[in-house]
Amino acid sequence: MREKIGSFLIELCCVYTIISVAGAIVNIICKTETNNLNVIVMFITCLAATFVLFLHKLFDNVSPLVMIIAQFLIACAVVGLILLIISVTISPISPKGWFEFYRSFVIPYIVFAAFYYYRIFSETKKQDELIRQIQEKAGEKAE
Amino acid sequence: MKLNLYKENDIQNEHVDVYYSNMRPLIRQLVDTVNSDRPSLSGRPADEDLDDGEEILLDPKDIYYLDHIDRKLFAYTKNGVYRLMNTLSACEEMLWNYGFVRVSKSNLINIYRIKQLKPDLNMKVFASFDNGERICINRSYKKSFNEYLLKMRGIN
Repeated sequence: MREKIGSFLIELCCVYTIISVAGAIVNIICKTETNNLNVIVMFITCLAATFVLFLHKLFDNVSPLVMIIAQFLIACAVVGLILLIISVTISPISPKGWFEFYRSFVIPYIVFAAFYYYRIFSETKKQDELIRQIQEKAGEKAE
Repeated sequence: MKLNLYKENDIQNEHVDVYYSNMRPLIRQLVDTVNSDRPSLSGRPADEDLDDGEEILLDPKDIYYLDHIDRKLFAYTKNGVYRLMNTLSACEEMLWNYGFVRVSKSNLINIYRIKQLKPDLNMKVFASFDNGERICINRSYKKSFNEYLLKMRGIN
């Protein structure tokens, strides 16, 4: 269990670092600024999304496509709940704020899912080539 | 068939003598097993109509994959399906050096018999064999499967 928590925290740190650096770059390019609340929301979102993605072992028996869609829907629901709590308790979120938030959540998710899809195909192709090499070498040996 | 085993601790040349009246498949397989350096598995046809009660020795190179269903272990070959009395983990241990790798909780596949490795549109990766069967390579075993392939390429 301690190992799993450690692994989860490492993944969370990596995800948050990538997202915050990417956010800083976007802010520099677009000449926009963020505030403390946005930083905390970003961290909570990373925490929720990483936790949902970390549950991939539970989806071992289904296809990766179903896993990606199921995890996406769960992540959307968890993030929506967090936003609702923030909207009610800290600061109201306008409909445009909801839309912007989900847009900035969905786009990276789709990009990474597409990358994952590409990786599966390229890795499988490499493994297939490896198998061909092993079979050819074994055939040469037998001859 | 009567089987005599003699243990001698100080024996110099281990040998096997086979007395037979005709060269039945079982005798032929015994000879092949003694001559070969690979382990063999004994099984009986899974189809009860074909099961005459006699165990058949299977050469691992003829096996496409092993499947564990309902606490029973089956070996799939070009000539048919055989029920083995071993456990899947025992077979994994015995055959790891002969191209057999675990790809799910219930499957051990022979990489020398894979016709093609291909992902489906739903991202599940399948190994296809000459007999038309496909075995899914579980995500949990993807890493160990890749490591095994790299290791086998090094060995070969």
